Amino acid sequence: MLKIDNLHVAVGDKKVLNGLTLEIPTGEVHAIMGPNGSGKSTLAHVLAGRPGYAVTAGSITLDGKDLLALAPEERAHEGVFLGFQYPVEIPGVNNVYLLKAALNAARKHRGLPEVDAFEFLTLVRGKMQLMKMDESFLSRGVNEGFSGGEKKRNEILQMLVLEPKLAVLDETDSGLDIDALKVVSNGVNTLRSPERSVVLVTHYQRLLDYVVPDHVHVLVRGKIARSGDKNLALELEKRGYDWVIEEAA
Amino acid sequence: MSAAPTASKLASSPASPLTARIAAEFAAAGNGAHAAERQRALQALTDTGLPTSRDENWKYVNLRPLEKVRFAPPSAAARPTITAADLPAAVGKSRYVFLDGAFEPSLSSTNTQPGVTVKAASGANVSPGASSNGGSPAEVASLGDLRFALLNEAFATDGVQIEVARGAQCDTCVELVFVATSEAKAGASYPRVNFKVGANAQVGLIERHVSVGSDANFINCAVDVEVARDASVQHYRVQQTGARAIWFDTLTARLAENAKYQVHMVNLGALSARSTVNVQLLGQRSEVGVFGASVGGQNQVHDTFALVDHVAPNARTEQGFRGIASGRARVAFNGKVVVRKGAHGTDSSQSLRGLLAGTDAEIDVRPQLEIYTDDVKCNHGATAGKLDDNMMFYLLSRGLDRETALRLLKWAFLEDVVSKIQVPELRQQIEESLASRLEAPMPKESL
Repeated sequence: MLKIDNLHVAVGDKKVLNGLTLEIPTGEVHAIMGPNGSGKSTLAHVLAGRPGYAVTAGSITLDGKDLLALAPEERAHEGVFLGFQYPVEIPGVNNVYLLKAALNAARKHRGLPEVDAFEFLTLVRGKMQLMKMDESFLSRGVNEGFSGGEKKRNEILQMLVLEPKLAVLDETDSGLDIDALKVVSNGVNTLRSPERSVVLVTHYQRLLDYVVPDHVHVLVRGKIARSGDKNLALELEKRGYDWVIEEAA
Repeated sequence: MSAAPTASKLASSPASPLTARIAAEFAAAGNGAHAAERQRALQALTDTGLPTSRDENWKYVNLRPLEKVRFAPPSAAARPTITAADLPAAVGKSRYVFLDGAFEPSLSSTNTQPGVTVKAASGANVSPGASSNGGSPAEVASLGDLRFALLNEAFATDGVQIEVARGAQCDTCVELVFVATSEAKAGASYPRVNFKVGANAQVGLIERHVSVGSDANFINCAVDVEVARDASVQHYRVQQTGARAIWFDTLTARLAENAKYQVHMVNLGALSARSTVNVQLLGQRSEVGVFGASVGGQNQVHDTFALVDHVAPNARTEQGFRGIASGRARVAFNGKVVVRKGAHGTDSSQSLRGLLAGTDAEIDVRPQLEIYTDDVKCNHGATAGKLDDNMMFYLLSRGLDRETALRLLKWAFLEDVVSKIQVPELRQQIEESLASRLEAPMPKESL
């Protein structure tokens, strides 16, 4: 279970999250929606431990473990995965190298032996088929020269290989055409299980047609302004955010 | 052509105490073969003087150690016994090993490739650019700084002369291994190479510099390359000398019409390493690639000055440099492109990048352009910075530990240049050397 309690976060002088409280029980998928600048991406980054965000109050725990006390790589070892809104290009580092290094880092933490090359390729090939990715992606530089859609599929591929306890997907649907959206959603649905939680940060309801959330939360000025089930997303699609913002004020 | 530079360009301190001492050591050493040429080189050096740190293009490298070195070659009697096991694994089809500049047949394997003639003996001492044959590019006065080459010419005992006949093909023909064994105060090592490639030939040359025995050598290397029309040359140079070695190097190259020359310089070793590169594009549509990778740590200084002189029209230059400095190291690359009057259609691009991996380290990357004609295309980019924080966070967020992520990003940074090495065994050796250099614990302040 992910527990966020009274979280206050500032970036420089600007307060971005203002007492955010949220519980995501294991096995559930929660969508975080909200207008531009409401703090959605900040929440995603703070969960993963990105530098540059000052947590001024509040706590985040995952299964009782204090995430805020952990470095980004330690959070990854605890099973936190951030799907980036803008996946980073790293020319010169092979995609396959990163995947294998990441998987072995996680296995090492769990006290498991490293996977050998054959096991690893078998595993990755299956997941790549699911993501409709050509095998040539493996030998390319990480996200190097990938299209927007390819980058997002690559994020989900990494997630499928790492099998995180908590997946935080930051606007994974943005910039996707309808076919790519289906592939990405299919990947996320594959990972749904009673042992995992998923946080979907999104602007649009469209993704939620394919990955149906258990709960939907609307973030306004750094706080949860309203929560509901999947019908809340449909209502937002119809009416926009203004009425929630007004209610919150 | 004599190797004398144009004296007016290189105002220095002639007849300084340093050149006086050089002349005295020269007189004491005795002249041996090619006495007249050596004497001329010494005279030219005395006239111009060695560079000083006041020279704009010599401000990065520490020249003070020159005051303590012995300029004459060491006595062979003092040399330690060296076996093949002391040297890097052989890569070329033939190998020529030199100990403190003297050819060592027992460690060498002779070339048998048709069309390739290698003369490695004391008789092979030839001035850079001294001889010319029918296929040679026309000579044009060099703009380059050849002062250390003059010092080499005055003192070098043996040299190697490689001649490739018209149309010969051999990708990894010859590997040259220059081993420095002597302490700098006991004597200097003067590697000397004359590489002449005939028309239409396609060849590769591998050149290594290592230290065995002492790691505190004084090495002064001079390499001259001449590429005739339509020929294509890959030249690999790996500097892995000892931790206290002082390494100077002058590379001159002249390209005829349609000739293609790529030089790959990997700098890993030495306390202080300075390369002065001087390429003349004398024939139309000739193409040069100057690629450098340098990893400096602790108190190392790696300094490269690479001049490409566009004399003929429609020629191309590509310069690529990736340097990493950690500890208190200083890594510099000055890439200068001169486009002479009449060299229209010149196409040059420079991508020079440095990575600071320590707060006390220093990177100096500088593209310089001097253009005296219209209708040219010259792109340049130079950056010196720290590792990209976004890349770092991305790798950490995937669970890679900090040290692995740093190593991986440094590796990726060099990859642009290292991936151009076309000899798989050599590339693997270089990658292994780089990997072991990057293995050292990294400073935490990088993120």
